[in-house]
Amino acid sequence: MRDYEVVYIFKSALGTEDIDARLQRYHEKILAAEGSEITAVEHWGKRQLAYPIDRNENGYYVVAQFSTEPGALPEFERLLKLDDEVLRHLVVLSEGELAVPISLGDDDEDDDRRRGKRADADSDDTAADDAGSDDDDDEDDDSDDTAADDAGSDDDDDEDDDSDDTDDDDDDDDDDSDDTADDDDDSDDEEKADVAVVDVEEDDSGADGDEDTDEEDKD
Amino acid sequence: MAYRKVCRFCEKSVARIDYKDAGVLERYLTDRGKILPRRATGNCARHQRQLGTAIKRGRFLALVPYIEGYYG
Repeated sequence: MRDYEVVYIFKSALGTEDIDARLQRYHEKILAAEGSEITAVEHWGKRQLAYPIDRNENGYYVVAQFSTEPGALPEFERLLKLDDEVLRHLVVLSEGELAVPISLGDDDEDDDRRRGKRADADSDDTAADDAGSDDDDDEDDDSDDTAADDAGSDDDDDEDDDSDDTDDDDDDDDDDSDDTADDDDDSDDEEKADVAVVDVEEDDSGADGDEDTDEEDKD
Repeated sequence: MAYRKVCRFCEKSVARIDYKDAGVLERYLTDRGKILPRRATGNCARHQRQLGTAIKRGRFLALVPYIEGYYG
């Protein structure tokens, strides 16, 4: 028996009745396993997505916590994947109580909060941004391809990995493009450096130098 | 985000960084949505790792962007 947390994002066009009916249907799957229990369900309500998902700009967020056997999850997630009205879902091992409500529902409140927090750090923001743009190497490390895999391995939980698979693909695409861009930059520099070194050798070794440079270039 | 010497999460004794708290996650992104490096955030190793995981989960759930300011 383990504690899990699931976040659903429904299409915002759905009515609350539809959503409740769906939640009930999903949660029945969990409760079917013996000793399982839904411990908390929290509706965040309609919220703007940070990026469009299947051309949806908004989503209806619901967070639920439950405890069940790991074996109950594949069936549960299969149901979620089949439902076209679910834009996204994420199942992770629960990290504690849902008790502390977070500033999500009301955009106004959220904005105020952000302004308040940033007010004292405003002067420093630009400095940090500069740092961010300078340091491509570190960004690479952070944005490594296995976003979800990291999460999964932390949790020792196969189901997590499954649920994140689609996400991984997205991640990979994005990150790869970044990576190659960065890598190109780096490798260009390195090649130039290599060539420079080879040139020096060439001068020393005479005719043999040409072959060396070719090999270097292929590498 | 200022250059910090101490980990803000340690200061507040945060056990787990919540991937659902977009307000917190946003503060550790550049204006383009990249994760700020540790030397800019001042986070300790543990919390920087947690933060990375949390931001990536938050991105999947469209709470924070993968790329900020890019519209097709």
